[in-house]
Amino acid sequence: MANIKALTGNDAASYAMKQINPDVVAAYPITPQTAIVEKFSEYVSNGEVDTEMILVESEHSAMSACVGSCAAGARTMTATSSQGLALMWEIMYIAAGLRLPIVMTIVNRALSAPLNIHCDHSDTMGARDSGWIHLFCENAQEVYDTVIQAVRIAEHPDVQLPVSINMDGFIISHEVENVEVYDDSRVKNFVGEFKPRVSLLDVNKPVTVGPIDLQDFYFEHRRQEAEGMRNGLGVIKEIEAAFNKEFGRSYGVVEGYRLEDAEVAIVGLGSTMGTLRSIIDEARSAGKKAGFLKIRSFRPIPRDEIIAALKNMKAVAVLDRADALNAVCGPLLMDIRSVLYGNLDVPTVNYIYGLGGRDILTADLNMVIDDLLNIVKTKKIKQELTYLGVRE
Amino acid sequence: MATIKELSLQRKSALTSGHRMCAGCTAPIIVKMITLASPAPVVVGCATGCLEVATTIFPFTAWKSPFIHNAFENAAATISGVETAYLALKKRGKIPARLAGGKEDIKFIAFGGDGGTYDIGFQSLSGAMERGHDMLYVCYDNEAYMNCLSTDSMIMTREGLRKITEVKEGDYVYAFSQETQELVLKECSGVFNNGVKDVYKLETLHHTIKATSNHPFLIVNRCGRGKETKLTWKTLEELKVGDEVIALKNLEGGKSFKFNFKKTKIGDYKVNRLNAINIPEISDPDLMKYLGIYLGDGWTRTEKAEVGFALPEGTDSRRELLQTHSKIFGNSIKVDKSYVYVRSVNLARFIDTLGFGKGARNKTIPSWVFTLPKEEKESFVEGLMLSDGYKCGNSWRYVSASQELLKNLRLLLQTMDTRVGKIHTQTKTKGTHCVYRPLLKDSTYGYVCFSKKTEWNVQKYPSQYKYQNFLIGNKYFATEKITNITLVGKEPTLDLRVEDEHNFIADGIVVHNTGVQRSGATPRGAATTTCPVGTQVIGKIQYRKDLTTIMVAHGIPYVAQASPNNWPDLIRKSEKAFSIKGPKFMNVLMPCNLGWGYLPDQGIEMAKLAVETCYWPLYEVENGKYNVNYIPKEKKPISEFYKTQKRLAHLLKPENKPLLDEIQARVDEAWNGLLKKAESSQVS
Repeated sequence: MANIKALTGNDAASYAMKQINPDVVAAYPITPQTAIVEKFSEYVSNGEVDTEMILVESEHSAMSACVGSCAAGARTMTATSSQGLALMWEIMYIAAGLRLPIVMTIVNRALSAPLNIHCDHSDTMGARDSGWIHLFCENAQEVYDTVIQAVRIAEHPDVQLPVSINMDGFIISHEVENVEVYDDSRVKNFVGEFKPRVSLLDVNKPVTVGPIDLQDFYFEHRRQEAEGMRNGLGVIKEIEAAFNKEFGRSYGVVEGYRLEDAEVAIVGLGSTMGTLRSIIDEARSAGKKAGFLKIRSFRPIPRDEIIAALKNMKAVAVLDRADALNAVCGPLLMDIRSVLYGNLDVPTVNYIYGLGGRDILTADLNMVIDDLLNIVKTKKIKQELTYLGVRE
Repeated sequence: MATIKELSLQRKSALTSGHRMCAGCTAPIIVKMITLASPAPVVVGCATGCLEVATTIFPFTAWKSPFIHNAFENAAATISGVETAYLALKKRGKIPARLAGGKEDIKFIAFGGDGGTYDIGFQSLSGAMERGHDMLYVCYDNEAYMNCLSTDSMIMTREGLRKITEVKEGDYVYAFSQETQELVLKECSGVFNNGVKDVYKLETLHHTIKATSNHPFLIVNRCGRGKETKLTWKTLEELKVGDEVIALKNLEGGKSFKFNFKKTKIGDYKVNRLNAINIPEISDPDLMKYLGIYLGDGWTRTEKAEVGFALPEGTDSRRELLQTHSKIFGNSIKVDKSYVYVRSVNLARFIDTLGFGKGARNKTIPSWVFTLPKEEKESFVEGLMLSDGYKCGNSWRYVSASQELLKNLRLLLQTMDTRVGKIHTQTKTKGTHCVYRPLLKDSTYGYVCFSKKTEWNVQKYPSQYKYQNFLIGNKYFATEKITNITLVGKEPTLDLRVEDEHNFIADGIVVHNTGVQRSGATPRGAATTTCPVGTQVIGKIQYRKDLTTIMVAHGIPYVAQASPNNWPDLIRKSEKAFSIKGPKFMNVLMPCNLGWGYLPDQGIEMAKLAVETCYWPLYEVENGKYNVNYIPKEKKPISEFYKTQKRLAHLLKPENKPLLDEIQARVDEAWNGLLKKAESSQVS
């Protein structure tokens, strides 16, 4: 009998953390992540977990303490959003460079300025190239499942990189859904014990963590880090397969929806893909051959899977919930285009939407589908980049 | 307290030898003493700084204990994470019983410099102390940040262009007179090895220099319409693309160079035959042209007494060479289709001594060429162009496989009022025809382009020109806009101290000499590059932050101030700290010979003076109770401490007496206040 709970995205994340029962959590509150820290503190106070919690004085110190803790051989987790992520940015690169398997839930919120507490993906886009594995979730169930998987992905010997689980701020984090949770013991068995590569606490085998590299070694270390990221795709799939076997659910590194016989496709990240499911179904009933491609693993980019999924498309729209401010397009489009270039000759257009929590309406998404079909018909692109939903 | 026997025979310090701290640095002494004092194994965390960078150069480490370095401002937060992990894992039974309790508990130490503690690291320290982690934070306080240039910087000296590593104390270097904006010669009063640091590359249209982020450059400060444009010093991290730096464009006068060559005679080692040849005693334009051609296409084989040139038949360069050769040297030359040979022991040895380098890849322009008069330099460049250069429209292009040659050529041209572009690199594959012959293998070449500068009509549009180039009309200097500033990575660095003007010309750009940057710990009146001693403001305006007192206010169980000269006190304090559970803070004075300006073997003496003048009192505060550990029998005046250091000695000048008196009053006030606190602690 499935155990279904009514949980918000934040609660789902903290529930997963409870079942994982990490050794250390170092966190600082920021809207809309606050509930994760608060809920988890409740678990600590009630003795439902025996995690050591450090209530640090800033996100920078949160990630710093996570680095120290993980290097000491403790399974370490944290969570943040927006400005907090931006403040952590310096240490995020260090965490990845030091190959520490820290797991962090990012509740995506727009970056200042202007100040805004609502959802967009600009915060994780700012940490895009930090060497972290970034997984994007569509709903609370996926958040719950992904947090559990993330621990094993990060700690896998072929990867050894920190992992972030991204959920849309307020949209997933604060909305209640039915989430199936699994038994504590099953989750505990799935994540297993953390077997650290090195530990600062092993005084008989002293290690120096974080030395200085001169020109003769830095490049090699970065190359190794890149290899870890490359191995990430295979490892994510491996862990997914194991998860599926145990719990009967898997999401893949990408998910194609009704792409087999589609002519046009929409590519995107996050909760909007959930909205798109019913919209695609409606479009299909109206005879439009549309489908979508949800990108779950944003870093590493699932190159082969994207090419395979879009190979029969005649036009593709990429939805970006962040602007790369490069005077050309959004960040996801850059990745999709660079993956397709030379492999698939399909016209791609960009839609930047939802910045600062601006709602995306079904009408908007239907318009995207129609635009795509128009491109197929006229073989012409009217507008390469559209800011969807803004008052120009 | 542990006995000397215990300390030296049974305990082990966490730091071993083989690190790269400066000669005379007192930081390793402090680290060794503190870690020796621990009865249990230690785990050390360190903020970015001298200590960390000089002890962990991959693949080596000088740390025998587990060690972690994270970033500059978070040593305290990082160690708080490690300490918490220890608690968590101990609780879950994952730490061996031997370390799981009692006196054998692992001790956690975080080391931070005064920069990483007083300033940028303050928040992290305060948070960690407030949370009550069982850790000791040690601030090694040398009262400032150091700055420097990359070791491959080229400096304009009186004897020509020299690598910064070859400049010595007493040499004369060219500097920019801030008063007259003229080129002046000043004495170098010291060379400092600042160790390995993060180095940035600053590029302008015509110049490139590598320096640390805190190295000051002289820039044009346009204050807006109606206000006077000034020249100010700004550190590299404050500069942005578009700022105008001062660059050298022309070196004055110059004299023909007198060669110091003694001709070989028959009977000298391996010499039994000599071809007669005339070796010039002083340089002149013809000789310089000859040498220019030599640098491009020539070689010497002293063991074969041969000087050769790869100049094919029918080329201008061969014609010029043959002409100048007979004019200068007056002896015979052998020719064939592609080459020209001179068989002469003396010529081979003469050219060898001139310093042009051997082989295609390490050809260079020796420093004495930079001291020549303009006419001779121009002939030299002309000769060089005859060999591997060619005209490309209105400009000349020179190609070479030697990066050093291109770099020096660029700098030479910049002293001749010539506009030079960047060094570009290209690779040509095997078999491609290149300058009359096919390449035998893939070759990588670099090239530079240059052209004569056109004269601006300054009289016609004076204010417009002045706006574009603040130094228009200046004979020696021009301003150049910064086009790029990028982080290159960590490199060994050096710096010079120059008398009076306190600047010199490195890689063509006017830069400040070494000094120290102010931190929150820098004392009142100290000379630093970010608060130099001038006519209006004398050194640092603010008094030091009293961090020790701030830490006492955090209400932590133990706070102490110590100094390396009194090692029993330092050891005892460390032992006490390790025996207390909870957050502890120790502020240890760390004399720095480089930054403070004293001889390397005087470190401990400096520390002693600081304590004897009551500038750095030795005291501890245990659970709020003050205890002064050392009261000097004879309290020395602060001038005794200040006069020994270059950074503070100016305060002893008679005109600065009011400031010195003020400083003495503050030291006395603090000292008396401390004694009072200790007294009332005893009573209560």
